[in-house]
Amino acid sequence: MDQLPNLGREAEMLSIMGLNSIEDLFSHIPSEVKRTDPLPLPPPQSEEEIWRDAQHLLGSNINLDSRPSFLSAGLARNFVPTMVGMLATRGEFLTSYTPYQAEVSQGMLQAMWEFQTMISELVGLPISNVSMYDASTSAAEAITCAVRVHNKKATQKDTVYVSNLIPPHRMSVIENYLQGAGIDIKTLNHRVNGCLDIDSASVAHGSCAVYVEQPNSFGLLDEGLLELKNIIGENTALIVGVDAVSLGLVSPPGDWGADIVVGEGQPFGIGPTFGGPIYGIFACNEKYIRQMPGRIVGQTHDSNNKKAFTLTLSTREQHIRRHRATSNICSNETLIALMGAMHMSLLGPEGITVLAKRVAATTEATKRALISINGVELLHPDTHNFREFVIKLPGDSEEAVAFIDSKGVIAGLPLGRWWNDMSSCLLVGCDERTSMSDISSLAIAIEDWIREAKQ
Amino acid sequence: MSDIFSFNGSSNAGWSQPKPVLSNSEIKDTVPNSMLRVKPPAWPRASEPELVRHYTWLSRRNFGIDTGFYPLGSCTMKHNPRINERIVNLPGIDRMHPLQSEHQIQGILSIFYEMQEMLAICSGMDQVTLQPVAGAQGEFTAMRCIQEYHRERGEGNRNKVIVPDSAHGTNPASAAMCGYEIIEIPSAKDGRIDLHALQSVVGDDTAAMMITNPSTLGIFEPEIAQASEIVHSAGGQMYYDGANFNAIIGKTDPGLMGFDAVHFNLHKTFSQPHGGGGPGSGPIGVKSHLAEYLPSPLAARRALIDSDPRGVGDGFWYTWESPEKTIGKVQQWHGNAGAVVRCWAFYRRYGRELERMSEHAVLNANYLRYKIMNPDSEVVSRVHAMPLDGAPADFVMHEFTLSMIELKNKVGISGKDIAKRLLDYGVMAPTLYFPMIVPECLMIEPTETESKEVLDQFAKDFLTILTEDPEIVKTAPHTTDVGRVDEVWAARNLILRHPSTSLDN
Repeated sequence: MDQLPNLGREAEMLSIMGLNSIEDLFSHIPSEVKRTDPLPLPPPQSEEEIWRDAQHLLGSNINLDSRPSFLSAGLARNFVPTMVGMLATRGEFLTSYTPYQAEVSQGMLQAMWEFQTMISELVGLPISNVSMYDASTSAAEAITCAVRVHNKKATQKDTVYVSNLIPPHRMSVIENYLQGAGIDIKTLNHRVNGCLDIDSASVAHGSCAVYVEQPNSFGLLDEGLLELKNIIGENTALIVGVDAVSLGLVSPPGDWGADIVVGEGQPFGIGPTFGGPIYGIFACNEKYIRQMPGRIVGQTHDSNNKKAFTLTLSTREQHIRRHRATSNICSNETLIALMGAMHMSLLGPEGITVLAKRVAATTEATKRALISINGVELLHPDTHNFREFVIKLPGDSEEAVAFIDSKGVIAGLPLGRWWNDMSSCLLVGCDERTSMSDISSLAIAIEDWIREAKQ
Repeated sequence: MSDIFSFNGSSNAGWSQPKPVLSNSEIKDTVPNSMLRVKPPAWPRASEPELVRHYTWLSRRNFGIDTGFYPLGSCTMKHNPRINERIVNLPGIDRMHPLQSEHQIQGILSIFYEMQEMLAICSGMDQVTLQPVAGAQGEFTAMRCIQEYHRERGEGNRNKVIVPDSAHGTNPASAAMCGYEIIEIPSAKDGRIDLHALQSVVGDDTAAMMITNPSTLGIFEPEIAQASEIVHSAGGQMYYDGANFNAIIGKTDPGLMGFDAVHFNLHKTFSQPHGGGGPGSGPIGVKSHLAEYLPSPLAARRALIDSDPRGVGDGFWYTWESPEKTIGKVQQWHGNAGAVVRCWAFYRRYGRELERMSEHAVLNANYLRYKIMNPDSEVVSRVHAMPLDGAPADFVMHEFTLSMIELKNKVGISGKDIAKRLLDYGVMAPTLYFPMIVPECLMIEPTETESKEVLDQFAKDFLTILTEDPEIVKTAPHTTDVGRVDEVWAARNLILRHPSTSLDN
């Protein structure tokens, strides 16, 4: 109740209007829809009591920093520079709305224009929007965007090809977003080595779009994808989902033919935060600019010819175009993108390379430690991995994870949860903060489990 | 002007990190040669002091609620309590992964459960999901559930969604994304819903009607129950756009009005800071017949049993549950959990007194409207023209619309000119030219967190502008960081990133 400056002054304000009671203001609500009983909710609390309850409830969670953790699956247990949280929560940023009034919003507009530039540089494409909700909605809207652009010339109308290895939750988002547009989703298959079956990728020629991920959901870096654009041709959009951090080491998809790049921005800017708020990256080349979703900032000038920024290309958007809009997106994840921009600028060109190397190093070190365990095999032995890799265990990985959990280690994701036929597989995720001691804790716990399982 | 790409210090100017756990030569082979990045991204090379100053400078060129009055209609720009920011920095939310096992997340699950229950209670719905991350995504999610509900009943032929012409743009956009054809019905002369128009478009192809109440004119639709009945008798579903929920909590609810589904804008009603455009959070609530289609998973609970580990101490064990015929996922995890936690902290401040919040939102809106529309006769004699009510009403709810058409006709000052001139007075402009049915529309929503003095001052400044030299108003703003911004030039030239791509490596 501390948020009401006019508490106790109601009578004064009402009397100016010639009224007696606040109820007069609600008198036009017909009695048949009026609520008569009070809300069955607990009594109001003070800030101090809320803080106490929050500490108690959130304190009862087991957080990733409290133990070795190898759970990633698309989110990073990152370290966010202290500056980021402190500056992004300055009230002028935190409490502003979408910058419709450019004259008093130059700060956020410029910051987002800088963000667009950083993303453009990172992925190797000229255009970026100011964020989508997450990697999955970015991927889904990239596909619908590509269909709008390519359908006219496509020989396989209303058809797109999607890697059969994308995680089920992402596939579900894509299906929800695509079904209304009547788009047919076909899949591209993988070989046993975990790489895309590039020889059969030509089936996608003449369709509207191909969506693949690099690294894929097994953490595999797939060299074959470098050829994909040549195979599918000019009039089929190549959409690539990326691990943003990997691009410190790995060549940006824009350099090998990607038309649209999407991905999870979370590693830059914010903790895993139970899955949200995070932000989706969306970047593309000029061909898609008038069909892309989301807010875009452009440079311009003011009435005195002074450099200025403003939201632009708004005629694509729902508040102007209504049911013919390119997307229904209105609120996005600007503040998190701002945090991302701050993080990226602190890293700088050399810092992103170091960060990617750190992840590559912990991935490699963890892989080496685990394959030396008797009974543990790499599912895809002769491949390159970034952040994640899959091991095959001599038993059910769900049981292994529960056992390892009891030893105080979060082992990763049992892949049976995603694909029924992978119940002995474990997706192990590493990050820049994985330590050699974390790795040995995991290795010891796995050894213990194998020993116990044998008995 | 501070330009971040002008920072180009030495290659180790930035932020130091621990060394990789393996040597360079060991790392080299982890990426195939053909895939190695040749040139790093041309990001700035800056030190923390430079960046702190850059972003502080930027922040000072940005207007937030903390800066001043923000009467942006339909957006409910209320104060954001700072304890909420402190809470989401706790590792029990910030350092959590959505795929952790249930025994590791009892606290966050209990907060999810409490929020689902609270929103169901306030809206008169049976089940709530917190997964949609924005109002528009909530609309989309609910329309997907309604779509599956019709299909399941063998009524997949219902392919039309009705929206009033005063609806938010997201309504038709979200329904169209589901593949629906949009039927727009005109409002009645007084801005209210036209039941005859509605009756004439419903039929066995009606999937749903999407409507907000109070309407975008800030007026409660007295015939909402009749509208629900018309749509229901045709076999359609009623969807409540919760953008204006701040007006009605504890006074009425969408369930009483006959709605089947509703979305909430937690970033409006429950004070998730809007952060320059997001994050938001757009949970939806539905009546029981739609509940089995909701996205998966939902937070659920059962009584604690002996074999359970220790819970949060309330006698319950919290779990995830998947609705039987779920549409699956709309966001890849569990929604904007950080926003949900902030809004939990916000609602706890009011508890069963949430009704006071809506009362004060409505009190403030009516008070401000009264002050603008009833000035001293001396002021009336000096203004070029008084604003007109966007819609006739004795009382409005949490917001109101003004038409500046007479001012425009008389002295050529547009609604946009007024909006820009208000910036010179140190306040944010109201929502402009929406709803489109009101000519030269300004839509004003003060929210409950503004004092009487702020409202008095705004009314005074607003009326002063109406007396000013039209040239000053038409060329406004004059005191902001930049003058009136050329949006047309931006759209024609499309400079969407910094031109500098060369890094001296």
